[in-house]
Amino acid sequence: MVKFLAGRLIQFPIILAVIYVITFLLAWVAPGSPFQRTERPLAPQVQEQLKRQFHAESWHGFLLYYPPQMLKGNFGPSFNYPGRSVSQILSDGLPVSIALGGLAMSIAITIGVFIGTLAAVFRGRALDWVSLTVALLGVSVPSFVAAAVLRGVFAYHWTIFPLGRWPSGIETRLIGPLGHQFWDTLHASGFTSALSAWAGSFPQYLYAALLPAIALSLLPMAYITRLTRVSMIDVLGSDYVRTARAKGLSRPRVIFKHCLRNAILPVLSYIGPAAAATLVGSFVVETVFQIPGLGQFFVNSVQSRDQTLILGTVMTYSVLLLGLNLLVDVAYGWVDPRISVGGG
Amino acid sequence: MMKNSLPVGNGLGLMKFRTMRRLLGACIGMAAGFGVMAGPIAGLTAVTAAASAAVADDRADFTFINRGEVGTLDPNRMSWMQDIRIGYALWEGLYALDGDTLAPIPGAAAKVEVSDDKKTYTFTLRDNGKWSNGDAVTTADFAFAWRRMLEEPGDYTYLFHYIKGAQAYEQAYLQDNKAADFKTVGIEVVSPTVLKITLESPCPFFLDLAAFPPFFPLNEKSLEKFKQVDPKSGRVSYGGEFTQPPNLVTNGPYRLDKWQLKVGQHLVANPHYWDAASVQSKTIDALSVDDPILGLQKYELGDVDWIADTTGEIAANLKEKGRQDVKVFPSFGTYFYSFNCKEKLPNGDKNPLADVRVRQALAMSIDRRPIVKNVTRLGEAPANLYVPPVFPDYPTPTGLPMLDGKSNADVLAQARKLLAEAGYPGGQGFPDLKIMYNTDVAEHQAIAEIVARQWKKNLGITLTLDGIEIKQFQTRLHGKDYAISRASWYGDYNDVSTFTDKYKGDSLNNDSAWVNAEYDKLLVAATLEPDVKKRLALLAQAEQILVNEVPILPMYFYVNKYVMRDNVSGIPLNPRNMVVFKKVAATHSK
Repeated sequence: MVKFLAGRLIQFPIILAVIYVITFLLAWVAPGSPFQRTERPLAPQVQEQLKRQFHAESWHGFLLYYPPQMLKGNFGPSFNYPGRSVSQILSDGLPVSIALGGLAMSIAITIGVFIGTLAAVFRGRALDWVSLTVALLGVSVPSFVAAAVLRGVFAYHWTIFPLGRWPSGIETRLIGPLGHQFWDTLHASGFTSALSAWAGSFPQYLYAALLPAIALSLLPMAYITRLTRVSMIDVLGSDYVRTARAKGLSRPRVIFKHCLRNAILPVLSYIGPAAAATLVGSFVVETVFQIPGLGQFFVNSVQSRDQTLILGTVMTYSVLLLGLNLLVDVAYGWVDPRISVGGG
Repeated sequence: MMKNSLPVGNGLGLMKFRTMRRLLGACIGMAAGFGVMAGPIAGLTAVTAAASAAVADDRADFTFINRGEVGTLDPNRMSWMQDIRIGYALWEGLYALDGDTLAPIPGAAAKVEVSDDKKTYTFTLRDNGKWSNGDAVTTADFAFAWRRMLEEPGDYTYLFHYIKGAQAYEQAYLQDNKAADFKTVGIEVVSPTVLKITLESPCPFFLDLAAFPPFFPLNEKSLEKFKQVDPKSGRVSYGGEFTQPPNLVTNGPYRLDKWQLKVGQHLVANPHYWDAASVQSKTIDALSVDDPILGLQKYELGDVDWIADTTGEIAANLKEKGRQDVKVFPSFGTYFYSFNCKEKLPNGDKNPLADVRVRQALAMSIDRRPIVKNVTRLGEAPANLYVPPVFPDYPTPTGLPMLDGKSNADVLAQARKLLAEAGYPGGQGFPDLKIMYNTDVAEHQAIAEIVARQWKKNLGITLTLDGIEIKQFQTRLHGKDYAISRASWYGDYNDVSTFTDKYKGDSLNNDSAWVNAEYDKLLVAATLEPDVKKRLALLAQAEQILVNEVPILPMYFYVNKYVMRDNVSGIPLNPRNMVVFKKVAATHSK
């Protein structure tokens, strides 16, 4: 296990370096000036001044200037939002994306595994067909349609949920013990009030995030439903299940205690990439609900050729993706001791 | 799974029985599922009610959706309409603009004296002008901001070149910042309240410029923290972080309280503002909304008082429904096609568009009516002129004839004759040129299709459409790497020259590569002419040349599109989208 972890951790910097260089090259050769923000060309002396300011006078200068800075947590200034640093955009946007993506993944896993299990247990019966329909819809309805419909019905027609209003700063309150606000309250007024302030932010968060999270969860939920169903059917037919039943254990106990643990393995391996895809693919849902997450900056930075922001978002997402994959591999070994992640 | 399924009967009865059982099972399963979820749902409903009550209290006195995401509030770099709009709420230049007449009125300055030769402007500041931190506004604040504009040039630095010695100083500073002497520039701080500006030549719109965001003052003390000195050259620049709250100090009716990207700005009335008593709304929310349909929905629910610039499609649809709250009125810009006038095309072939007769033939064979009727749909006026009809005293030149359904045969005969004279009778031998447009706005493609179809039908020439991504479009347009391109221009200040300057031979914005000595001479003569009327006549002569020579083919004049109800006051419908924020208010029944 330790050997495996060490091996992976040594790979990380190499992978990140390769990603950095490729992203940089693509961003640098893409046509269009990152400095020119409107349709009007900038005077040569203005361009020169900006190039100096962004350390972008030459490609090698730019390529070499930023990596050491990034290690220090400085991603440079944004081209498209003069006066804002990329680090600031990332630290503002990433918690929002995580808050939204986290809820979406929770919904997808809970409901997906539940429906998938029921579909396997009641294979070939009406419930199975219902689950198939849900899965089919989840896969085939694009998230911008689902998001727009949810918004139109539940936020506009029936004003149950807020219409494009993200409570400012909710994500920092939500991250709780990880965010400074929690510690500020702790210092000022004690543990209980810090805890209650933290818990109190949940309703507001759910209120704002539920609709977009549902829209975002449909696709992974569909996959998880089908994955759970297939592997559950497989497990239900195995000998130990019959033994357990013969021993006199109740059916729900057998299904949810003994079968699910094994049936969930393929689902687990899907969660890593799904979580990453949810974070990266939140662009559409963030636009439909006007949520200040990182997904919008990820896409917009490419459109505006904001080279520092492109590199910042790509590197952040890369670290997240690598981390999530590692986490899944570790969890895999933990759930199924037969699998040795040590490779030996 | 393990249920017994021994046949207890046969035929239809059993089938029905089984199906029933299955359906029943499914129903029970789903009911159980809902039962499990009912608790959370009931809880959630209570929670959403509480949360929505908490959120509803946050509403500002006035809420509007800005045209797009505000990129920067650094006066050196502001160039988008939405940036400039917020700029007007936060700052006040020496002069300001009247929202109804667009005439310059005293702002941070109480008065100005103009010398007889119209080249010296002596401004006297108000003695009660204050920054949002309580400091007094002084002439040094203006001198500091304007000097920074030359030393750390930005998008609109070229507007400062009307000031004596400014351009020379900008270049000198770039060459050797230590040797450059700011005293050579016509910006003189006579006393903390008196500022003397000397111009290169008479500039009848200088007070208008003095109201424009690049000419806003800056509070030097608040920028000190963000000063960066280049260790090698000693050049000074300022980190843009000074524009973020709570760092930003401004001298206008509002101060910047909060600013979050993708959310918007929260503005609070500046208690130190000299005219604080006239400020109508204590708080203003300027929202950033990327999805125009979301914007409209928020407006329909009453969350928003004003949509500043909705899309043409939404405005047209609302108008067709007979809605009175959509306001469409003339704008300060023109939609046109740009011709590349170089001798050679980018691929090295001979450029037929270099021949003025070809350009004239192309211009005369377009019927603009289907464009404004079917594509833009907002009653835009078809254009055969470049300068929009928003300058009352301007002697409008004569445009080339437009197809209007009545005299089509004559005009078309003329156009075909011109094309034949240029060597392409009936379109024969005309090379396969491309019409370039950017694809982020669907209307550009629809218009290009109409234009290509008409040229095919009227002149017999076949052109292909070339839709490309916006950044690539900009690069190719400015690099003259195209044959025919969609283009547009909006004016910056209240003078015809904001349009005509674009086609000066040496202008950075001259995308047509069209150079005409006579045109340039008329523009220079207009700059030197102190008499306003004669000056406009010179500019009109220049535009007449441009219209005859057709480096551009005007299509229609833009319109502005606001959505707002009668409960909103203080938002005038002027072509330049100028809003005086201290007058803006909305009454809410809630």
